[in-house]
Amino acid sequence: MKHLMRYLVGSLPVLILATGIAGAAEMTQSEKELYEGAKTEGSVTWYVSQTTTEFADGMCRLFEQRYEGVSCDVVRASGQVIFQRLTQELQANAVQGDLMSTNDDGQMLQLKEQGALAQYAPENLKDMVPLLRDMADKDNYWITSGVSPLVIAYNTDLVDEADAPKNWTDLTDPKWKNQVAIGHPSYSGSVGLWTILMNDLYGWDFFVNLEENLPQIGRSVADGHNLVVTGERKVALSPLSLILSDSLQKQAPVAAVFPTDGALLPPSATGILKDAPHPNAARLFSNFILGPEIAEYFSKDYRYPLRAGVPVAEGVRPLDTYAIKSIATVDGIEKLQDVQAKFRDTFGI
Amino acid sequence: MTSIPDTAASAWPEETARVRVPWHRRLQPANLLWLLLVAILVILIVAPMSKLVIMSFTDGKLGGWTLHNYVEAYGNPRHVTALTNTLKMGAAVVVLKLLFGVPLAWACTRTDMPGKNFVRLGVFGAFIMPPYLGAVGWILLAGPNAGWINRVWTATTGLNDPLVNIFSFWGLVLVTAIGGFFLVFVFVSSAFEMISSEMEDAANILGAGPFKTAMKVTFPLVMPAIIGSAVLGFLGAIALYGVPALISIPARYPVVVIQLTEFFSFPLRLEVAAAYSIPLLLITMALLGMQKLFLRRKGFVSVSGKGGERRVVKLGRWRWVMFGYCFFVVALSVLLPLIVLLLAAFSTSWTKGFSFDNLTINNFFYVLFEHSSSRQALTTSIGLGIVAATIAILLAFFIAYIVQRRLLPFSSLLAFLAVSPYVVPGIILAIGFYAAYALPPVGLYGTYIILALAFVTRFLPIAFTAAAAGVRSIHPEMEEAVRILGGGRLTAIRQVVGPLLKRTLAGAWLLIFVPAAQELSTAIFLVGPKTRVVSVVLLDLSEEGEMEKLAALGSVLLLIIVAVVAIGIKYLGRDFMLRRN
Repeated sequence: MKHLMRYLVGSLPVLILATGIAGAAEMTQSEKELYEGAKTEGSVTWYVSQTTTEFADGMCRLFEQRYEGVSCDVVRASGQVIFQRLTQELQANAVQGDLMSTNDDGQMLQLKEQGALAQYAPENLKDMVPLLRDMADKDNYWITSGVSPLVIAYNTDLVDEADAPKNWTDLTDPKWKNQVAIGHPSYSGSVGLWTILMNDLYGWDFFVNLEENLPQIGRSVADGHNLVVTGERKVALSPLSLILSDSLQKQAPVAAVFPTDGALLPPSATGILKDAPHPNAARLFSNFILGPEIAEYFSKDYRYPLRAGVPVAEGVRPLDTYAIKSIATVDGIEKLQDVQAKFRDTFGI
Repeated sequence: MTSIPDTAASAWPEETARVRVPWHRRLQPANLLWLLLVAILVILIVAPMSKLVIMSFTDGKLGGWTLHNYVEAYGNPRHVTALTNTLKMGAAVVVLKLLFGVPLAWACTRTDMPGKNFVRLGVFGAFIMPPYLGAVGWILLAGPNAGWINRVWTATTGLNDPLVNIFSFWGLVLVTAIGGFFLVFVFVSSAFEMISSEMEDAANILGAGPFKTAMKVTFPLVMPAIIGSAVLGFLGAIALYGVPALISIPARYPVVVIQLTEFFSFPLRLEVAAAYSIPLLLITMALLGMQKLFLRRKGFVSVSGKGGERRVVKLGRWRWVMFGYCFFVVALSVLLPLIVLLLAAFSTSWTKGFSFDNLTINNFFYVLFEHSSSRQALTTSIGLGIVAATIAILLAFFIAYIVQRRLLPFSSLLAFLAVSPYVVPGIILAIGFYAAYALPPVGLYGTYIILALAFVTRFLPIAFTAAAAGVRSIHPEMEEAVRILGGGRLTAIRQVVGPLLKRTLAGAWLLIFVPAAQELSTAIFLVGPKTRVVSVVLLDLSEEGEMEKLAALGSVLLLIIVAVVAIGIKYLGRDFMLRRN
């Protein structure tokens, strides 16, 4: 223990120096300016529903390493909850968040229309994967900050690969009675979009049939995913990145099915608030999300890196090798409240 | 209570005299104090509650009066179902709480059952364990497929269907009941301890056996305590947020608190939430009113707290049966959930059970050093608990002193205001506070102040009840002696009343600190991004399905609370909560 401490203390100045020099050397002119501004602001508050708390905390630590003197605070909740909180703050004229990352870009569009967002085109946009860059707002009110396809997770201890569902409608097969887990569209942003997609593809009958299987309804997709990992349920709607990192890194008994009728690809979006208390830090962070550190961090966690030329991790299928469906941003807003109400009526909660 | 007239009291001799006093002469310290206390109570209670009522009749967009919020709140059959579900659930919970609390109270106070201290300790554990942690423990125990009980069941019987399912109406009822039956125990056991055996002896002499005596004499005598704790138990059950959030969503059994969060989601419908809360508020008021009415008709002067000898009932061979039942209740409410929680807190994966390669301290490391808000949340929760308990006790003491000594006019109004938050479920109180203070012009959104104010209000009734009982027990003659010797009112309080009530107030402080440090219902709508309390962080962890980390953070919270209580017990003696009045 003592050795370890001495080792750490001894190497600390070297580490700081190394990262300091490396960081300073890499910084562009505009980045330096933002960094100076951010240092006087001291911190950035990031509202996240895009990732889990643990993953977002990791991104913040990387940010703090690169930009010493600017602390990064994560406020994480499920998509609808964090959006509601932000709406509350806008109404109270007391915006506390600097920027928000969500899996439901419809929220961004609504904020843009309310005039709550700031226009900003980060420098790193130029190095982005073009396909992902073009999913963002044309007027640069938000950037694409990730893509995390929603697929089907199954527990490999309890279900053989051959028996696993192949597409979304398989979830309504009576053999999955009491064995399906889904999130709630009124709590989770991506589940909201998924509900719209299922309704568009198969009509509301899909949910009427699904209800007969008595799915366990959690609040977020992470919840359902963990129910499958623990064996409480056999199959669930789950984000691909969670399945991959749990199965490949933690050897958890879980695997992904890419539904033949299309994985849902909600582009995650990050926008800066117009009344952000720390505008420079917010812009610095937005640019940082598109930078090389995060691209590597994403790739290591089996997510799709945002930067062109950064390879995906082993075991991750490239995006263009399986069927994908998306919901148009405008559609998302129009249909969400309707499907939320229908969902509550069908499932009674 | 004849006391030597003092300046405060003689400032208001008669109506006629008052008229002639010029306004500036009326600004005496005592009157200013009264005004100050009234102002505080208006801020804490009157303003948020009237704002809630007014808002329920206000048009959200245009302003002006409307009934439309009520139409929106109760026009949908699903919303009405949530209310009836809540009442059903509340009633079932009360039955279960009584089944748990009353026999345990009787066994611990009036019988020769072995292991009484163990049972008392168990009940005390149930008081310290926050309801939502009990719920998480039970999810790990009785989840339909992965829960421990069901896995043992399917492994031993070979059957596919689970034995128990926590995600059901009865699961919800069980978990809610184990989180609140200690109140029944405390109330009823103190009543049992106050009745003397004389009447039971009389019944015995007249030929009644032990069972008939119990049914005809003992239980009717403690009926007021049972009814009182049943009403409180009902109010506690319907106001709880954490347990329904964890269990009633998967169980698909909508209740009022879950419905309220729907109105609090996007698009925010504060007015509809206010309208939706009003019937629940009326129900709780009606219940307390009925309780008063019922108890007024009966004269239970025999519960006097004085005289008489209390003999224990000899249970004979039934004493172990009785202990078995008590152990069963303690196991359900504390032992089982606590054991699985601790096990999960030290596990990589809670489903794998106890083995060395599954053993880890990473969860603790994560919640203590890596998680972005758990450290701040722990500090906030403990800090808020301390602040809320201290302010509530101080405020309650001043009000109780003024009320008991009749120092000021209309002091009964102060007393009424101080206990009135009793009828307001925590989550509704939070909506009132949000409506009154979160938005501009006050703009307290996201501050510690709004949380502290709401917590003080929530726990003021407990503080006032304890302080009033304490002050009542002190005869004014000692303070009068101080006054005769030339000391002022404040000297009397500092030198006589304060020291005498130190233990009572410190006991009440602990009784507030424990629930305040765990409070969820009042906090859920009032926390800001940087003022999150532990309960809210725990709920977020549950939403991400991180049961092991949740268990670790929950254990840390429990440890801190137990430490504070242990210090308290060291100075107060362990009976501060379970002793008789």
